[in-house]
Amino acid sequence: MNILSQLIVSGIAVGMIYGVIAFSYQLTFATSKTLNFGQGEALMLGALVGLTTVNFLIGQALGTPLAYLLMLPVVFAFGLAQGAVVEWLGVRPAVKANSEAGWIMATIALGIIFRNLAENIWGRDALRFPSPLPEASLNIFGVRIQPMEIAIVVGALLIMLAVEVFNRRSIFGKAVVATANDRDAAGLMGIDTRRVITFSYALSSMTAAFAGVLIAPVTLTGATMGAVLGLKAFAVAIIGGLSSGMGVIVGGLILGITETLTGYYISTGYKDVPGLVLLLLVLSLKPSGLFGRATIKKV
Amino acid sequence: MLEVTDLVAGYGKVKVLHGLSLTVQEGQLVTLIGSNGAGKTTTLRAVSGMIVPESGSVRLDGEDLTGLPAFKITKKGLAHSPEGRRVFPTQSVLDNLLLGAFPRLTGARPRGDVEADLDRMFALFPRLAERRTQLAGTLSGGEQQMLAMARALMLNPRVLLLDEPSMGLAPRLVAEVFATIARLKEQKTTMLLVEQFAAAALEVADFGYVMENGRLAAHGPAAMLKNDPAVRAAYLGHAH
Repeated sequence: MNILSQLIVSGIAVGMIYGVIAFSYQLTFATSKTLNFGQGEALMLGALVGLTTVNFLIGQALGTPLAYLLMLPVVFAFGLAQGAVVEWLGVRPAVKANSEAGWIMATIALGIIFRNLAENIWGRDALRFPSPLPEASLNIFGVRIQPMEIAIVVGALLIMLAVEVFNRRSIFGKAVVATANDRDAAGLMGIDTRRVITFSYALSSMTAAFAGVLIAPVTLTGATMGAVLGLKAFAVAIIGGLSSGMGVIVGGLILGITETLTGYYISTGYKDVPGLVLLLLVLSLKPSGLFGRATIKKV
Repeated sequence: MLEVTDLVAGYGKVKVLHGLSLTVQEGQLVTLIGSNGAGKTTTLRAVSGMIVPESGSVRLDGEDLTGLPAFKITKKGLAHSPEGRRVFPTQSVLDNLLLGAFPRLTGARPRGDVEADLDRMFALFPRLAERRTQLAGTLSGGEQQMLAMARALMLNPRVLLLDEPSMGLAPRLVAEVFATIARLKEQKTTMLLVEQFAAAALEVADFGYVMENGRLAAHGPAAMLKNDPAVRAAYLGHAH
């Protein structure tokens, strides 16, 4: 029983990270029906830029927790810029040329370029990211939890909530939702939908970069850290539905927990299998995702 | 006020408009009628920037708007309530109306009193007031039509383009839509109305244009067109 709850708790932290990255896929899909297949690299770059910033700030004799907090705005700004570049270089030209799949290749290519760039700047080795919180586990009802795991869950929920509040409350957020609903009609409202799409790429990469610095203290950072995370989160986005906000949290948790359970009860070698089996099942039984709605057009 | 000259437009290689000219004067209600496929909707789309015209020009108070993207034309004060209503289904009635005022709320157009205009819309369409927090996608067709019109009016437009506001509505609602259009005309709203109900449109309009195969077939004061034998035979002959 204790082991089971321990496994579930560990699965939740990983699952929330999958959920946040999947959420970042949704952001660009909603407005543009395109995705950044280099999303894992956005996460990786965020984590590495965060690492350099944190180390610099610690070098300025700041404590790790304060350095971590001061690093966040830098990583946010970097993520926004990186996402805008991806949209501008990879997506916009392909969409303008009416190429159905051009943006897929372009975002994959940019992802590879970013990974190469990171390998040259930060090297090929995995690097340790200083943890802003104590690394000793807390014992809560017999379950050992790292403080950073709690921070991951809280941080993940906060960023999703922040985006949701922005979309619902501010007129610019409403413009984003309007663009997602009906791009032509949004244009008739005086909304520059191209700029909205650039913005959603920026916001998407910012979210991924944030996920990178959330998970970095409990894993290791390095140029290759994003590839597998990006792919699994993509599976979560498909499982949860590319258009359903809630779905990615549940999808992420399902994947995170099944992974840790499989890793313990079956074999760590098969850790990645159940999630992908789930993906195949969802694709064949409910292609719009577990929580996605089939789109109904009212004429 | 709105001046369209020799407009040629279409979709890809298919040309729909072959040189169309029309004028809407300030405070006027002008209607554009014609059979299905004559190019009425395409005209509105080319005017509001939803499609880029191949040639010809669109001017608003002398300013050339030809070929600008829709969002820029909207910022100049031209509102377009498009065919099929196109309300934002996952947003509330209130949010749809606020989005109609987007250029005012973001400084692209004079702000004026947005609150007062919301109240004006709710007075004009009491049913929207009852449903202000409801998602637009859950409204009935008639309510969505009212919302689409109110949303366009929230721009405080210099010119309002209305595309088939009566489409798909029950007869009682059609009468209501036309009553609203008549009321907007009394308030001196400048409008270009595309309608399938030619007789009803000519009844409320000041001036009318009749389209046929992407060209003008006739035009003149609405009262005159209404009694023109050729127009009557072609468009008003069948009781709707």
